[in-house]
Amino acid sequence: MKKKILAVLLASAMVVSLAACGGSGSSDSSDGSTAAPVTSDDENTLTVYAWDKNFNIPALEAAAADYKENVNKDFNLEVIEQSQSTDVENAITLAGSAGDYSTLPDIVLFQDHWAHKYITDYPDAFQSMDDVDVNWDDFSQEKLSYSMIDGEHFGLPVDNGTVIFAYRTDLLQEAGYSIDDVTGCTWDKFIEVGEAVYAKTGKYLLSMDGDGNDLPYMMLQAEGESQFTDGKPTFAENEKFVQIIDKIEEMISKNVLYLANDWSAYTDQTITNDMVAGVMNGNWIIPTIEQVSENSGKWEITSIPTLEGGEGYASNGGSSLYITANCEKTDLAKDFLTYTFGGSSATYDKALTDGGVITTCISAGQSEVYNEGVEYFGGQPIYAKIVEMGANVPVIEQSDSHYGCRKQVAAAIINIKDGAKTADALKEAQEQVNFEMGN
Amino acid sequence: MDTRSSVRKDSSFFKKGDKTLNKKQKGLNIQAKQQRAGWYFLAPATILIAIMSFWPMIQAFIMSLKTGSSANMQWSEPIFYNYTRMFSDKLFMRSIGNTFLYLAVEVPIMLILAILLAQMLNNKDLKLKGLFRTCVFLPCATSLVSYALIFKSLFATQGLMNSILVHLGILESNFNFLGTAASAKAIIIIALIWRWTGYNMVFYLAGLQNIEYSVYEAAKIDGANGWKTFWHITVPLLKPTIVMTFIMSINGTLQLFDESVNLTKGGPANSTITMSHYVYNNSFGDSTTNFGYAAAMSFLIFVLVAILAAINLKVGDTRD
Repeated sequence: MKKKILAVLLASAMVVSLAACGGSGSSDSSDGSTAAPVTSDDENTLTVYAWDKNFNIPALEAAAADYKENVNKDFNLEVIEQSQSTDVENAITLAGSAGDYSTLPDIVLFQDHWAHKYITDYPDAFQSMDDVDVNWDDFSQEKLSYSMIDGEHFGLPVDNGTVIFAYRTDLLQEAGYSIDDVTGCTWDKFIEVGEAVYAKTGKYLLSMDGDGNDLPYMMLQAEGESQFTDGKPTFAENEKFVQIIDKIEEMISKNVLYLANDWSAYTDQTITNDMVAGVMNGNWIIPTIEQVSENSGKWEITSIPTLEGGEGYASNGGSSLYITANCEKTDLAKDFLTYTFGGSSATYDKALTDGGVITTCISAGQSEVYNEGVEYFGGQPIYAKIVEMGANVPVIEQSDSHYGCRKQVAAAIINIKDGAKTADALKEAQEQVNFEMGN
Repeated sequence: MDTRSSVRKDSSFFKKGDKTLNKKQKGLNIQAKQQRAGWYFLAPATILIAIMSFWPMIQAFIMSLKTGSSANMQWSEPIFYNYTRMFSDKLFMRSIGNTFLYLAVEVPIMLILAILLAQMLNNKDLKLKGLFRTCVFLPCATSLVSYALIFKSLFATQGLMNSILVHLGILESNFNFLGTAASAKAIIIIALIWRWTGYNMVFYLAGLQNIEYSVYEAAKIDGANGWKTFWHITVPLLKPTIVMTFIMSINGTLQLFDESVNLTKGGPANSTITMSHYVYNNSFGDSTTNFGYAAAMSFLIFVLVAILAAINLKVGDTRD
């Protein structure tokens, strides 16, 4: 009897689950028929891939509202949210490998450091933007260098990757220094301040992700140099680079710099866990700093130190908008991008207030919104300052292998920390990058 | 096999010769029909495996002979360029070294633990047997990614293990387990043992159930102690199971991926990266999207697994 009941139960469970499968299957397919096309038939609708609903998606929505109000009443922008930036890269890889670009939306937001590689690897995936009516001189030239290949424009900048150095002014003061002492100073002076801060407060003056270490790149850019020369990595031969690596090692050994194991440890353990008295990275790190609400008003930002002294400027990360090969409404897409991200203050002001997206467009960065003081940073008008600093970032040679190079240099830094010789470790890293590039 | 072919010969003989044997012929037809039916039953699975597994394998092999962007792949020059290239790739060599280190350390410890646990839990007089068995098997029910992330937070510099060890006075200050090469490797091995011991134990338990209790009784009467019975009865009778778990563990360890990616990201300074992780890095990770090279490396892993499995089968072969 027991067995029979069990059998009936099992059978009914199977029927139910089968029915459920069937049900979900059919609803999937009906959903699929509406969600599947990544482009729209409507002639006034554009689709776009973006990945951060707190950052770049509000910026796109601001642009859409601006264009709808002032240019085209019927305009509609459909933002298709991706979970992370790599999703967009994978979408291009997939479409490019299959030779079928119909899976792409009209516009994609794309990471700057990957752009060169993807435009050269998948030349058919993107449309040229060389003929749009944008005042390119009004943008940070360094930012534009990411979306340009051989002088031809492929993308339009959205955000700003200008590196800031944020300091806890109260902790600096405790150690007997002020923010002026670390503005335009040498790295040696910085290490001196860092040692004093660590001795007095127990906090590191700087932290970084040890696995994907951005520090060497940013420090070298502030010197106006690149890790690459004519497309090849040059680490061991570059005197300044060797000096920079030595400075980084000195910072680690003197408890000025803390290397976290990975990115999440960098943001969660060191920054939001209040382990540091200073943060240096692209300005998109600001929302992470602001998560520690009790430190409001104690921070201030400035430029970064250099080897010989003088204010250093660098840029790290950020993204631009690209029109894909699948876009049939090219004129509309170009007009939309030109009107909004090409320099409209209405777009950029709202992008800043809604998403914290800072422009690289110099004239748009002079608006009232940009000149307001920010409470968290002691009333300092940080946005105007960032735009101003962004205009000074030196243009350096970019490489398709930016991230591969970053990983190998990060490994070299850890190896040196563990006892390897600087020259040997850099040589090894250089060989590996050369190997990956097929040189 | 032999009998069948002789029958067939007979049938063809009768076909030509005698019509009175029609009845027998019909019977044979049924056998032939049954055979054909067997093939029909096999066909869907065979076709699916061919399309879903073998065809991609062939494609991957072709891809491994090409280089360049995946939008426009060219035959490499010389044709085995990707294969010769990997032997000068220091990072790939290191990933092979790491993987074999995991293999050499983790598999023996894990299997010995599993067999001992199985032996203990097979005790007839043990109470709450079901509960204990479930407890040992439970780690297998956790997903690879989530258990890797749990180990990561356990062994973080500010994690639970550090606070316990500091409070007990074993460590003076917090130690960066995952940021130091040797300890990061050790933690991957510990994590693997935790995750897979119970899984292998289940196979041994099943194997132990198949050993007649009378054999143990006979041994007891002959005066064999616990260790002797274990070594001279349990282990030889479990041999097929041991060989199977060995092959599965070797195969699994050579393809190790999730732990390396999620627990340490291959770091610090690539000291814990595994072969599969490196292959992934070369196709979708931080490095270049180098599908041809990645496919070639996958084929080397495939060959390594095949060789190791063949050796294992040969060694574990009980037939004379």
